[in-house]
This record gives sequence, C-alpha cells and structure tokens, in this order.
Amino acid sequence: MIAMRTNLWPAYLVVAAFLPACGGAPPAQDTLNVDNGLDTTKDEQIAKTKKIFYNIPSPMETAALLKKAGAEYNSKILNDVKNVDKYTAASQQALNLGVYGADLSYASVFNHTQESMFYTSCSRKLADRLGVMSAFNDSTLELMQAKMNDRDALLDIISETYWNVDAYLKENGRDNISALMIAGGWVEGLYIATQVSATNDSPELRQRIAEQKLSLNDLIALLGSYEVADARLTAVMADMKALQALFAGVADPASGSTVTEENGVTVVGGGGAVATLTDAQLTAIRDKAAAIRNTYIN
Amino acid sequence: MRNVRQILVKTLLAAALLLSATAANAQCRSFAKNKCVPELAPFKFNESFNAAQLAPGEEAEVNLTFYSGQEYRVMVCTHPILGEVNWKLMDENNKIVFESLADEPKHHFDLKAASTVPMKVVVWVPGAGKSDMVHVGCVAIMVGFKE
Repeated sequence: MIAMRTNLWPAYLVVAAFLPACGGAPPAQDTLNVDNGLDTTKDEQIAKTKKIFYNIPSPMETAALLKKAGAEYNSKILNDVKNVDKYTAASQQALNLGVYGADLSYASVFNHTQESMFYTSCSRKLADRLGVMSAFNDSTLELMQAKMNDRDALLDIISETYWNVDAYLKENGRDNISALMIAGGWVEGLYIATQVSATNDSPELRQRIAEQKLSLNDLIALLGSYEVADARLTAVMADMKALQALFAGVADPASGSTVTEENGVTVVGGGGAVATLTDAQLTAIRDKAAAIRNTYIN
Repeated sequence: MRNVRQILVKTLLAAALLLSATAANAQCRSFAKNKCVPELAPFKFNESFNAAQLAPGEEAEVNLTFYSGQEYRVMVCTHPILGEVNWKLMDENNKIVFESLADEPKHHFDLKAASTVPMKVVVWVPGAGKSDMVHVGCVAIMVGFKE
C-alpha cells in the first residue's frame, strides 16, 4: 500500500502543476433550479409515459467526424484555459464544461496530448464546482497521466469520464445541467468545425456542418423536454432556434432509408443528395456560432 | 401535533423514494458500464447514456443520427431481472430496418450508413402476464461507432 502511494507521487505532481493553469479556489456560485424528484405524483405520471431520449453526437464523435473529413488542428480557436475562473454561475460552469469537453476531445483526437491535459484540468475543475467529483476524480487524472502516450487508451478514458459525468447528473435529477453541458459541447463542436472551414474548407467538411441540422433538431427537442423554469435553459433554447433558422435553408440530408447488404454488413441509406452549404449559408452559420459561443465563454 | 407527524412521515417517505430512485439509477449506470459497454467492442461507445428503469408494458425511444461513411453498432442491453425485451430500429418514416423480439432476441445490430440518416430505436417491455410480481429493470440503449 505504501509502495502504491509512493508510486503515485509523480502523477500528483503533474496534476498539481496543471491545476494552477486553470485558476485557484472556486468563487461563489449562483444556483440553478433543479427538479428534486420529490414530486411523486409527477414521477408516477412520468413512469406511465413513454421515455424519450435524444442522442446528440458527443464531442468525441464530432471530433472524429471532423478528422475524417480532413479538418486540421488549430489550438488558437479553442477556449482559453485561463477563462475557467470566470465561470461562477452554475449555468456558465455547465455550458463551459461542455465547451472544454469539446476542446479536450478535439485536442485528443488530433493527438495533442499536452493540450489535452490542460483541458482535462479545466473540465475537472468545473466538474468539481458542479459537485460531480465522484464522476471525475483524482484517479481519472492519474490514469490519464499514465496513458498520456497511448492515444486510444486516453480517448477511452476521456470518453468514459464524459459519460460518467453526464450519467451522474441525470441520475441525480440534474438533467438541466446535463442539457446545458451537452448544448455547450455541441456549440463548441459547431464553432470548431466552422472556424476550421474558414482556413481548411472542403466539401466533406461542409457536408458534416450541414448535417448538424439533424442533431440541432434533437438538441432543441432535448432542451424543450425540461419543464423546469430556468432562464439560462430558455436563453440557450433561443440561441439554438436562431441557429435552426439559419439551417432551415439547408436541404435535409436524407429522406427515408434503403437497406442493402454489402459483404455481410447491412448498409442503410444512400442514393439521396449529399447535404451541403452555400458560401452564404456557411458564413451565416459560422458567424452565428461564434457569436453564441462568445456569450458562453465570456 | 398530528399534522407535524404527518408532514414528517410524508417527508421521510419522499426522501426514501428519492434515495431508492437515485440508487436504482446508479445501479443502472454501473450495469451499463460493466455489462453493456464491453459488448460494444470493437466499436467505440458514443458516450450517450440512454438508460431507464422500465417495467413490463413500458416503452422507451431514442432518436439517433447515423453519419454517412460511418459504421455503427446499436445495442439494447437489459438487466436479467426484466427478461428479454422487444426492440426495433426505424427510419424517419417509421419503416422498420431491424427488429428483435423477446422470444428470439438479438442484442445488437451492426450497420453502415451510406448516407446520413435520422433513425430511432424503440424498446418495449412485454407485459407481466398473469404474474403478480412486477419487475422493474434497467434497459440501456447504446450506440458504438468506429473511429
């Protein structure tokens, strides 16, 4: 046992070195309305209705799609780690946990390990302030440190941490915090994609951005599924609807599905026109995504 | 005095309900993490935790988007206490692409998206029949993708 503790010292030192990059003691927080789950009548009503989930692409999935589309890595567009201490309100912390989570995934998928560690520290700090420490603790950071040179293992740890945080929030009746985190991550993903397209444009990248029309619809449905009166959630919903208006002119990526088989694998879809964006649509979405993102990170 | 006691009893009952719900959800996460995520391999879990405690007769639905050129595994993972469930994968026009019924269950379905398509997974738990026992169990609907 003593030997194990001794062996962890280098990891603690590295973690301690990273944490100051993300600021000092947590400032005072405001609160976010949370459904405490004590309303049993409502719980019974929920139990009898169909449970509907909205699967928004995770930051890791989005980053992987960007990489496949030929996007390049640009660290200058990511949220500054020094901003982390600005986020005193719980809603800001939740949004920026999503933002830093997306930056972390982007850096990790593109194998920028050092930056991954900085963004991990920021994410961990916000998770701590939101009371999600059990899902994102010291052992996670130690494990990441130990696997720093093993990209696949690192991606698995980040992935597991993200869904642990999300699941923890949902399990504890803090679905609205989870929704804000998901929204923050999605906006940052769109921001990264559109910013990268400004310098590294390609039809594949435009296609991936255009296809976000579908996940935006799901995100709006997710945000609309909470009955909790929350000003920030309402404001984020308005932001997403403003983006939805810009995506309205984009042709739907697909309609219906054909099912075929190719070398024993079921192939779904195909045949329809590929989603794309005109220059004007791309510019409008890029500008709007940047404006919304700036209100979240500042 | 009587009112105070009633309020106290109600509060304790509500707290017990909340604690048991939280514990059940935590068990659901633990079950999904230990039992379901490993079965997604060699696909990478997409990090979306879609799981619920369902009882016989209940239904859950997940809206999904599959991106062109990507390969996916869709998996429905059920706690053994609930037995097998029915589930289907449908396109936006409600056309069934894949279906698994409780008497001949398949726990996952692999597909490749030739174009980007929105779909949904619908899961429903068969009724309890004549049994007086109603089992509630965790159902996780998970998606894996190849990087």
